[in-house]
Amino acid sequence: MFSKEKTVVAFTIEKCKRCGLETKRKFKEGDFLFAETSKCISCDGLLSIEKIFGESIEL
Amino acid sequence: MLIWIVPIIIFVFYGQRIQLQITSGDLKKGIKKLEEYKIGSRNELIEYIQKNLRPKEDPTKKIDRFLDYFTIMPVNMDPNGIVTKVRHIVRSREDYSRAQVKSLSPDMTNLELTKIQTLLEIATSLQMLYKVVNHLFLTAKKQNNYPLILPLQMMMPFIMEEAEAMQKAIPAFKLCQPIGDGIGPMVIGKMMLGLKKELIAFQTVLSETEYSGRKLFLLKAEGPDAVVGRPGDAVQSIVSKTKIDAIIMVDASLKMEGEKSATIAQGFGAAIGGIGTERFQIEDIATKHEIPLFAIVIKQSIKEAVNLMTKEIADNVDEIRLQIFEMIHDNTKSGQTVLLIGVGNTMGVSQ
Repeated sequence: MFSKEKTVVAFTIEKCKRCGLETKRKFKEGDFLFAETSKCISCDGLLSIEKIFGESIEL
Repeated sequence: MLIWIVPIIIFVFYGQRIQLQITSGDLKKGIKKLEEYKIGSRNELIEYIQKNLRPKEDPTKKIDRFLDYFTIMPVNMDPNGIVTKVRHIVRSREDYSRAQVKSLSPDMTNLELTKIQTLLEIATSLQMLYKVVNHLFLTAKKQNNYPLILPLQMMMPFIMEEAEAMQKAIPAFKLCQPIGDGIGPMVIGKMMLGLKKELIAFQTVLSETEYSGRKLFLLKAEGPDAVVGRPGDAVQSIVSKTKIDAIIMVDASLKMEGEKSATIAQGFGAAIGGIGTERFQIEDIATKHEIPLFAIVIKQSIKEAVNLMTKEIADNVDEIRLQIFEMIHDNTKSGQTVLLIGVGNTMGVSQ
């Protein structure tokens, strides 16, 4: 009956350049697209930021 | 009988004034909101500078002076050569504001500088919207002029939509997150990964690659700074050195009511917004050299274009790339050269 209030949360998608593993986490200040961030947990390859976007979440 | 006649007389003589009073109530609410946005954006900007740049002097006075800066557009009685005049004035203003922002803290990085410049632009625009709307409203009230308030009443929902979009964009700009308008640079930036980059014009980078026997020039503003670059100057420089057979521009475009957001559309012409000087320059070069201009646009609302990129728009990157390659295949031959331009604000989008 009453519409719930929505808020936009920013997420960052990281992708491993070697094995292609994708991980989603909350956006951190300093993230920008295509930046290399850390090492992949499964193959030790380099993770780079593939996408940054906002998703609406109901409070 | 009198019960009928009295209201008719009242409405004949005071109808407009009554309508003015009713309309005034709605407008006052809108103006109050605009004033809140204006004050809020100013305070957030000052707070951001004080917190992140720690300037030696209090920046409040300087910021207040910047907010009141105005631009006098050139005389258009004789439109011949007006575009170069507009470009000169706009660029002088940009150069001046860049130098003034830099003077707040000479050690600031380019990223911080462009972020603050954009936040300053938002605060200035919100201040201007408030001033103009308030002026029209007060003039109509002062003169008891109901017809004068009608256009304002009609335009108010559009003005509020734009003001709300700008006000909500402030957090994204403070955190340097990619915005909806950044989809063009995002697509081209992804194609530039691993390639050599050359600074071809002010805040604009170029890379070279090959696809299916065609030479591709990739052009975008230099990210992750909050800039749009100077694609017009860059195209001029490229065309003066190399023969270009087709130009493909990828940009965000405002969707019409009823259109689905994040849909991709193809068309002809220079897909680039702004004041019109860059578009004029690109169209001029393309016409002189008989280069066909193709466009791929990603539809979105004004709110989506200036705010943090939505998932639907970000998920479209690979599909846009496929459409670019299809377009190259359909419109050029092997051995030809294609210039791909990612148009838009490249904040949070590197290459």
